[in-house]
Amino acid sequence: MSAEADLELVCSLAGAALASLEASRGRIDDLNVYPVPDGDTGTNLTLTVRAVAEGLASAEPMDRPALAHAVARAALMGARGNSGVILSQIVRGVADVLAESTDGIDTALTARALRGASDAAYRAVRRPVEGTMLSVIRELAEEAERRAAEPEPLGSFLVELVHHGEGAVARTPQQLDVLREAGVVDAGGAGLVELLRGLAGVVTGEALPAAPEAVAPLSADAIHLEPSRYRYCTVFVVEGDALVRDELEAQLERLGDSLVVVGDETALKVHVHTDDPGAALSLGTAAGTIEGVEIANMQEQQEQRERRLSLVPAADVTVKCGVVAVVAGEGNRLLFETLAEPVGTIRVVSGGQTANPSTAELIAAIDGLAAEEAIVLPNNSNVRLAAEHAAEQSEQLAEVVPTDSIPAGLAALVVYDGARSAAENAAAMTEAAAAVATGEVTRASRDVDLNGLEINSGDWLGLADGEPVAGGNDFTAVAIEVVARLLAEPRAVLTLLAGAEPPPLDGLVEQLASSHPELEVEVHDGGQPHYQLLLGAE
Amino acid sequence: MRLTADNTAIVLDSTADLPNAAGRFPNWRVVPLYVNFGDESLRDGVEIDAAEFYRRLQETSVFPTTSQPTPGDFLACYRELGGYERIYSLHVSARVSGTFASAEAAAAELGDGRVRAVDTETASASIAMLALAIQRRLDHGTSDEEIDTLVERYRRERGLLFTVDTLGFLQRGGRIGKAAAFAGTLLQVKPILSIEDGEVVPVKRVRGERKALAELAAALETETRDEPGFRLGIAHAAAPERAAELEALVRDRRPQAELELVVTLGAVIGAHAGPGTLALFWFRDSG
Repeated sequence: MSAEADLELVCSLAGAALASLEASRGRIDDLNVYPVPDGDTGTNLTLTVRAVAEGLASAEPMDRPALAHAVARAALMGARGNSGVILSQIVRGVADVLAESTDGIDTALTARALRGASDAAYRAVRRPVEGTMLSVIRELAEEAERRAAEPEPLGSFLVELVHHGEGAVARTPQQLDVLREAGVVDAGGAGLVELLRGLAGVVTGEALPAAPEAVAPLSADAIHLEPSRYRYCTVFVVEGDALVRDELEAQLERLGDSLVVVGDETALKVHVHTDDPGAALSLGTAAGTIEGVEIANMQEQQEQRERRLSLVPAADVTVKCGVVAVVAGEGNRLLFETLAEPVGTIRVVSGGQTANPSTAELIAAIDGLAAEEAIVLPNNSNVRLAAEHAAEQSEQLAEVVPTDSIPAGLAALVVYDGARSAAENAAAMTEAAAAVATGEVTRASRDVDLNGLEINSGDWLGLADGEPVAGGNDFTAVAIEVVARLLAEPRAVLTLLAGAEPPPLDGLVEQLASSHPELEVEVHDGGQPHYQLLLGAE
Repeated sequence: MRLTADNTAIVLDSTADLPNAAGRFPNWRVVPLYVNFGDESLRDGVEIDAAEFYRRLQETSVFPTTSQPTPGDFLACYRELGGYERIYSLHVSARVSGTFASAEAAAAELGDGRVRAVDTETASASIAMLALAIQRRLDHGTSDEEIDTLVERYRRERGLLFTVDTLGFLQRGGRIGKAAAFAGTLLQVKPILSIEDGEVVPVKRVRGERKALAELAAALETETRDEPGFRLGIAHAAAPERAAELEALVRDRRPQAELELVVTLGAVIGAHAGPGTLALFWFRDSG
């Protein structure tokens, strides 16, 4: 083959590889959880191949070794990301083999090139890991060697290799735990197969069918990683007799961004990111008949991906010690659960001031924990005794951290660590709970005389560490007085838990912001009965 | 071969958070990573400094991403250092970035054996403090073996604790590692974190900024002694007041220590840790 023909072939191969990767870029980005789950594998592979394609576009014909060297070098210089660096070594391995050949490319030479690629890739990685690009390129090389023993046209040979590569990619979750846990196949391996798919298309002269969806499709058309200003990815086709592309494009442009309108006067495909998909569709129906409508909520996609990625690392937590907490109010339950679950395990038993859980209920909760040991948080002085009995009678080793309030229980839970023993947790959690001053604001259930201050039944009553300290019909004034007592010692954080029927807290929060600018104030809907406001100062 | 500051260069990447490294020592260079706002790709510390980065972070709704230097970037730097017989190329943990892989690929491409690429298994000023320790040895004359020993000891003994305003940045950028266990709480907790075996790990949760500061100082007290040769570093992301408070605290607890570096987290590390991050580093080294 002449130098011109060589260059032309390599250019078309690089162009096809690039187009194939471009088409799958978003999908591959979204698969990326290993080694760093930052969602850029598809982008990095695409940019790496683009560097090769751009390098070749300006190249003059040269002899084969020089061309091979130029390709390998362009890949190396343009390698982006981990996957790009490994791909550059794969390209290098292929190039080194092809550089020594003098004829056209056949199956035997392809098999040797893939073996060279596999060897180069493994050499480049200090600690090779199975279930990645490495195992995919190795399996491709093995399959190529096996098939090359029988004569076969190069086109069908490559098509079969693509299929085999798809199988190798599908197996990666069995080889690498993080992939299985995230429910994805390896991104780099998937990208490698897309690249090969593009190359095979050049040889066979027709595009190969797209990759099978290895994960449940997250979106209608493409997976968008860049957080968009707009909420909906909207795709549809308009059919008509005399469609004017530019006109429709100009109209759609006002609705959003990422606009693509392609096709001819009989059919136009529209892709737009917008907050108003209905308006986009109306423009379509005004121009012709629409079909193939797909509307995807991109923010949801982004959140789904983040949720999945956030699941990856937590798998190796072994829980030695769990927590049983007695909590009143749905909001408070959520606060307890989200604090404990990520670092251990928790069972919340409903109850508190008036609804005291029984010892039997607490024992059942302790025994139901998926942990050998337990911490019990009564969170109310009325529950403490039942908690102690339960801890004694439970089959598991259980310790009570004597918390008298929800805020004290939360403070204790902040330092909880499920990997440590109950004894270690009890020591740390007791200390943390002791550092909290607790207050409550409630309605006085009868007339009381508070150091000469008369509080009528139904008035606001403020308590600090269980003692009545303020009363009256101005909620904010009573709460402020409670806060003042709690801040008698220096405190950095004030937590406010609003009850089931909370009075407005804005006035209180505003006053605190101006009177205590250094204090970090955090407000949550606790949802507890009886106490319209619980306060904890640490 | 006897290594000196005249024949040995040190190459850092921009995650060492020492943008003016080449100005400090003639044998030092920094290869920038890239920080990307949408399609705009900027060289960390060159085309975008820390102040500009945190300003843009406040203004933009686009979440910045980062990418490692290409092997070509490293190759150009190594070539420019042609007059040096040895190059120590010190890089951010390979568990969180492919930067080390790019450096290794460039070193292999160069093929003359001059470059030693090192996975420091750490990040930020902690990389710079290792570079300073190597430079002290170069000043007296040293060997590859001595530097290998130092690097090994550094990986084992260096202290690193940091706290972030929110785990959202580490989570979004995919670098949260085992600290994911501290994410997702409704109650606001300040996480105290470290880097072990090259990845982010959870250490402790506390309530409130003040407690977080106190916790960093308390950990320093339990884990170290006040002695000559004890070295400290502080890094912060757009939080100079808190860095100053921490500085006062650690100077009080470890009066004999040398505070080697107080730096701002650059754009790349800042993109993954987020504004408000505060970090404390230490290493005992009388060399």
